[in-house]
Amino acid sequence: MMSITRLFASLVTKKLNILKLTSNYVPRCTYGLNNVGSNDPGIEIEEKKIVEEKTSLAMRAYLQRATLYNNFMEQQTHEFQVGKRHLANMMGVDPETFTQKDINEAIEYLFPSGLYDPKARPFMKPPSEVFPPKKDAEFDESGRPFHVFFYTGKPNFYLILHNIATKLSELNKFEDSLRKNNILPDDNKKLSSIGSQWLSKEDVEKLTVEKLSDYEYKHFTIAIERLLKHPCSYKYVEFIAQYQKPMITTKAIMESSPVEYTKDGKAYVTVKDCPRKSARADVTVFYPGTGKLSINGKGIEFFDDIQAREQILFPLLFTDMVEKVDIEATVRGGGISGKAGAIRFGISWSLRSFVEPETVERMRIAGLLQKDYRRRERKKPGQARARRKFTWKKR
Amino acid sequence: MATHYLRKAFSKNLPNHIKSRICVSYLSTLPKMQHEDVQSSYEESKFKLSVPDAFDVNRMVKIKNLFEAGVHFGHTEGTLDDRMKPYLYGTRLGHLIINLNDTKRLLQQALNVIAHISYRGGVILFLCQSPLNCLTVENCAKECGEYAHTRYWRSGMFTNSSRIFKSETRLPDLCIVLNTLSSTTKSNGGQHSVLSDAAKMLIPTIAIVDTDTNPNLVTYPIPGNDDTPSAITLYCDLFKNVILKAKDVRKNVLNNKNNMIEA
Repeated sequence: MMSITRLFASLVTKKLNILKLTSNYVPRCTYGLNNVGSNDPGIEIEEKKIVEEKTSLAMRAYLQRATLYNNFMEQQTHEFQVGKRHLANMMGVDPETFTQKDINEAIEYLFPSGLYDPKARPFMKPPSEVFPPKKDAEFDESGRPFHVFFYTGKPNFYLILHNIATKLSELNKFEDSLRKNNILPDDNKKLSSIGSQWLSKEDVEKLTVEKLSDYEYKHFTIAIERLLKHPCSYKYVEFIAQYQKPMITTKAIMESSPVEYTKDGKAYVTVKDCPRKSARADVTVFYPGTGKLSINGKGIEFFDDIQAREQILFPLLFTDMVEKVDIEATVRGGGISGKAGAIRFGISWSLRSFVEPETVERMRIAGLLQKDYRRRERKKPGQARARRKFTWKKR
Repeated sequence: MATHYLRKAFSKNLPNHIKSRICVSYLSTLPKMQHEDVQSSYEESKFKLSVPDAFDVNRMVKIKNLFEAGVHFGHTEGTLDDRMKPYLYGTRLGHLIINLNDTKRLLQQALNVIAHISYRGGVILFLCQSPLNCLTVENCAKECGEYAHTRYWRSGMFTNSSRIFKSETRLPDLCIVLNTLSSTTKSNGGQHSVLSDAAKMLIPTIAIVDTDTNPNLVTYPIPGNDDTPSAITLYCDLFKNVILKAKDVRKNVLNNKNNMIEA
């Protein structure tokens, strides 16, 4: 008490009344280990020798579960093999060379299904693909978990967050030491996230083998984004790259398709099967040209619609190439707008080879280089069209 | 299994029907009792529960260190929880000052408990909900080979553990909570739910309790500042050292025992 009184003597101005309580006052009931080390324990303590624990209940339960699972899988695999042989015999094929693709075809032939959702149709796959794999034991014989963050329930995910935090604190220390020596972190070495994206939630889930909530995934992106934006983040490029993946679409867009040459030396690019709705177009663009346009042997008058004609012209106007290229297109399937859209995509896709990279980037941003994957939505029973409802009045 | 003693002591005065209701699920996570007739060695008798300060923890805590780390700084007067009054020294400029004599005494007691549990192979879980000190606590747990949970506390982590971990799981034998209040939790008046959960499962808790928290649910409260990184680092170092020490002793005792059996 003396030392603390001396420490505070000059600091403390007012004392509370409660200090009149005796210093030994402990305002709780005391039992069990509270008596550790006292000469007069309130309760008898039975000493137990310390031993290495060999089997905990947790471990025994795991072993039992693992054997059950293995037996089950063994039986399922056996049944699958037998079924496969039967199927091969039914189809009159050699069972030894019967592949998964053959199985799928046989099932489709023997059990034709009109069900709309492919997942609802009958299938036959190896059991390892049907039944989810079980995690291995996460604790030793005595029941002690292996992982520091085991009790969080999502140890692998929280280990990633922990690693990010560790790296961030190391970078902070590093930056401090730089600034102490009057060195500013190099601006040229700074990392940027252009051309790449973070692993998606599904990817992270696959990486950690744990189910994540949206909230947890948001936490992850915030943390890794913060690490990336640190001025010294270049020190941990590899670590950050683990959680990045390149944007494949931009990469493919920037790589223009190969240019070929006609006999008289004209450059041309052909793009096959440009999709839009159910239309498909093969487009060839010649450069240099004079602005000739032929669609299935006709000119722009192939389309009666102004809108369809505008669609065809848009990429040419956008890149200022109207009078500079010749275009030949054959188009099949679909309706008017589908045909026009397919040709428009084909023209923009082949124009990449004849314009500046900056223009390509402008085209990408304008959405000219984006395939349109939308399809007609099916009509629903009880409704007039896909979404439109019948007129209905209560009474 | 250190909690074994606690449970035994606690269950002594309980009526039978309550005893079975509380203990059955918890008992199931305990390893099977093992009986051995090896004479306890000299080393082992040195670390009996009845020996005061068997692991020499009292020397580890010095008031000067506590003072330098700012352990005595409480919150403002208005936030005082009446149940923390016994641990106060006074106020200064509207801020409460914690009596470091109490802190020292209770910290020593807590360290002794940690040492004994660790010596008996117990599982220790560190908990903290302040983002500022998460990393310190996690590193501390990592370095001493124990466990940390510094994230969002899913309810039922202990009370519904077989469901959440999808299997029978051994629960921790001791929870060390480095910060009992968090600004984000609204239930229980912002108190970390692990305190009530651990109490339900008869898991002893050690917690740093600041002047604005309720120490009643905590088995071994340690009054002290739970916000300042310097204070948290000090606690973590103490806990880490004592666990490592106890584990070392355990390893030696087990080695000697094995040698005796072989000889």
